[in-house]
Amino acid sequence: MALEHVAQGQTRFFTPGVAPDPRGILLGRFCLMTFATLEGAVSWFRLYSSEASLDELMANLTITKCRTVLSSREIVVQIPAVSSYAADRAARLCRLVGGAIYTGTAKHFVKYRDDRSPYGYDAVDIGAMPGNIEFMVHGDEFSQGYVREGDLPFARLLFRLSIRKLPGGEQLGNEDRGELYLAVARGLSDGIIRYLWRNRVEAQAGLFTPGSTSAFDDQARDRGYMWIRVRALPERILALFVGTPGIDVFKPAGVSCAVAVGYEHPIDLASCASVFAQDTFHVFWPHDRVDVLPGPLALSDIADLTRVDLELDRPRDPAAHVGGPAAAIGVELKLATAMGPPRRVVATLIPLEHGARLKRILFALPPVSLRGHRVAATERGILVVGSENLDVIPLGQLLCELTPGLLVPLGMDVVPRVSPEVLSRALGHAAGVVTVFTVDGRPFQVSEGSFTTLERRSLAKVEVDRVDAIDYAAEEPSAAQVVNDAVGRFALWGFPDAPDRKALPPGK
Amino acid sequence: MARPHVREFLDKFVRPLVAGGELHVGPPIPIPDVERWEMELGDASVELVAVDDARAAVLSTLVCSPPAFVLEADELCLAAGLHNALFLVHPRADAWTVSDKQRRRIIESALALVSRPLSRNRTRVLARHALLNHIFHLTRNDVTVSWWTGRARFQGQKPPTRLTAWKGVRRVREEVTVVDFDELLAVPDTAPVIATLLRRTPLTQLLDSHPGAPALHWEDAVFLLRDAELARAVAYRLVPDAMPRDQVVGPARLAAAFEQMLERAPDEADVRAVAAFLVHLNALFCLSEVNLREPGAKSPLISTVLAAEAAGQRPRGLATLFALPGALALVDARLSILPGIESVPALARRWSVHRAQTAELLSDAVIDALAARLRRHLRGAPRDPSEVIALPPTERA
Repeated sequence: MALEHVAQGQTRFFTPGVAPDPRGILLGRFCLMTFATLEGAVSWFRLYSSEASLDELMANLTITKCRTVLSSREIVVQIPAVSSYAADRAARLCRLVGGAIYTGTAKHFVKYRDDRSPYGYDAVDIGAMPGNIEFMVHGDEFSQGYVREGDLPFARLLFRLSIRKLPGGEQLGNEDRGELYLAVARGLSDGIIRYLWRNRVEAQAGLFTPGSTSAFDDQARDRGYMWIRVRALPERILALFVGTPGIDVFKPAGVSCAVAVGYEHPIDLASCASVFAQDTFHVFWPHDRVDVLPGPLALSDIADLTRVDLELDRPRDPAAHVGGPAAAIGVELKLATAMGPPRRVVATLIPLEHGARLKRILFALPPVSLRGHRVAATERGILVVGSENLDVIPLGQLLCELTPGLLVPLGMDVVPRVSPEVLSRALGHAAGVVTVFTVDGRPFQVSEGSFTTLERRSLAKVEVDRVDAIDYAAEEPSAAQVVNDAVGRFALWGFPDAPDRKALPPGK
Repeated sequence: MARPHVREFLDKFVRPLVAGGELHVGPPIPIPDVERWEMELGDASVELVAVDDARAAVLSTLVCSPPAFVLEADELCLAAGLHNALFLVHPRADAWTVSDKQRRRIIESALALVSRPLSRNRTRVLARHALLNHIFHLTRNDVTVSWWTGRARFQGQKPPTRLTAWKGVRRVREEVTVVDFDELLAVPDTAPVIATLLRRTPLTQLLDSHPGAPALHWEDAVFLLRDAELARAVAYRLVPDAMPRDQVVGPARLAAAFEQMLERAPDEADVRAVAAFLVHLNALFCLSEVNLREPGAKSPLISTVLAAEAAGQRPRGLATLFALPGALALVDARLSILPGIESVPALARRWSVHRAQTAELLSDAVIDALAARLRRHLRGAPRDPSEVIALPPTERA
């Protein structure tokens, strides 16, 4: 048995039912993976589902128990060869778990490409297939015939797998706690709903009875439980619920299934959502229990489910209260010595008579110190506001910031010590305004628009002429178009004969 | 009717001819009127200056400092001749009232006007080119108006509003067709006038052409190659920064004219000059590929234009253009390579790649046949300037 390396651009092959894909890789309609045990196949599903969606393979996915001519048994997984990219992923994962991958369409499957032959392999001596063989794979050194013994539907495999306990899986992060489900025994449901409502947890609840297919179930026994969907469940409540008997916490895995918190299904259930019927909701419990709830889940807000206490025998008449003017409780604002740590100096209010000194300091200061400061000259003084610490200007009353734009003298605080928002509202302070408290107790406000940068203010206005750039590029010539003017009916009348003269000889 | 002044002609025809715009073609201009206009040029200084400024602008992209010139009788006659040629395709000239005799008169007058002496004077050549630089790109918009009961065609004229009114009700449709050199100046009546006119402006023919235009006569234009500035300007205009097929159109046209020249009996010096110029164009192709990532890679330009599968679409003269350096190497090796090319190693490498690729794509038979044709003209080996010329011995007294 010999395999030939497929060459780039090769279009004719011995193997039936294969063709090159747009990348030139030999590909049949299906890929076939053989595993020695079912665990290998499950491992492959597990790996593939964590990387890509199994839904796209679901249309032609088959899992078959096969027997070879030598009576050994193998698990054969057949997937559609959607593209060579998907086949590459399948091949990589298949080799990782100890399987082998082939490609083909009907009966003959040839080894899929690997590093040694990047465009795939072609089986050159395909002979007649023995009658008792259903399909055949062609490897490097062998050809193997298989007989199908039985199919294992993927859905059955999925539900037969036990969910596995994850170490530390009960501790969920903020994102994982975004949406959770609680299965609460009937007797606890009222208390849990009240507890959730009291703790302001957004939740919806519904009463569900899992479907039963067994005739031996006790139909009289109520197997239903309260199914509650909670959002943003605090960590402490989650820990409480996980440790409480009668309450089971589930984490959604896809749209129509949920797995118990702390457990994980071997196969990523979100990647094979098409397995689950649209009108069902599957709940994977520990210890191999799977409940099928009718879906989509119809849940009601728990705020409407809390218990209502009625005392109809003691009606209450609404009492009328007469309102009156509110007593004045206003307290005058004043400055007092601050008790906290000193704040950063962000501004200074310099008396107008100290303007000359400020000018001298500005000459002396380096440009770096001037940068970022703004200045506004007001009737109450020259207000210099800095972006950084302004203690480089040792003049005037140093001011620090109580809230953005609200300045108080350094070491002082406003009493009563109300919150900055309340203070701003009381003073009419808003964005675009700077409010300054002074030691004399008469605050004033300056609009941000009246500030100029200190660097600009420190310069006298300089007249600069504006000049236009001259473009020396040659103009793009415009097209010449012939326009025929009206020439009248007698334009050619009287047109003289040309003189009988010949062209002059070439000049030098 | 008042006779038109030269001012109107300069403003409505000559200035748009130079700078672009609408060229108004009116009644044909008799030769006596042109002679009168020569006298009137002094009274049209404003229009004259506008035309000369436009001509200087045209030449500013060609030469470093355009020469000073003033429009005079020579250019006026050429413009009037072109005007009369354009009148021959005026719809009025096709009316039934115009007899063959009258048309012949117009053709003869146009021929007489454009039959100015050939010139090799640099200023005059530049002035004529500036005047006629648009000649290959003249277009005319023909409007076909169709309405619910009929249709009418207006050649270079605006349809009257009575025909285009009520577009919806009368189902008026206007179709504009642009006609170019082929239908304006290459028709049987105008073709001899234009051929005569184009021989008067060889620089225009070197720089530009049209498939319907008469072929270049290298003997008329070779003197321009001896002016280094003009030759350089022509070479750079002929090798534009464009797609490979557009890049070789101009050089191939000149190479085709060179083929025709070899069939005649040109001066050997002229053959040498044209051959050297075409070799220079080949070197420009190499120069455009100096910055290729792989210096030894095959030329994409030659691969595209000389591809065997596109052999049927090659423009005329293309094989001669690329085979010329190889053929000259067999006839006169000094002409076959650019002087001083060794001083630019990257250029020399591209040159050798081009020559090897050309020899591979064009068979040796093509190069040998061209060499045989060249041998007929390049017989006398020119003296090598490196030879020391000895003075005859003086007789002893």
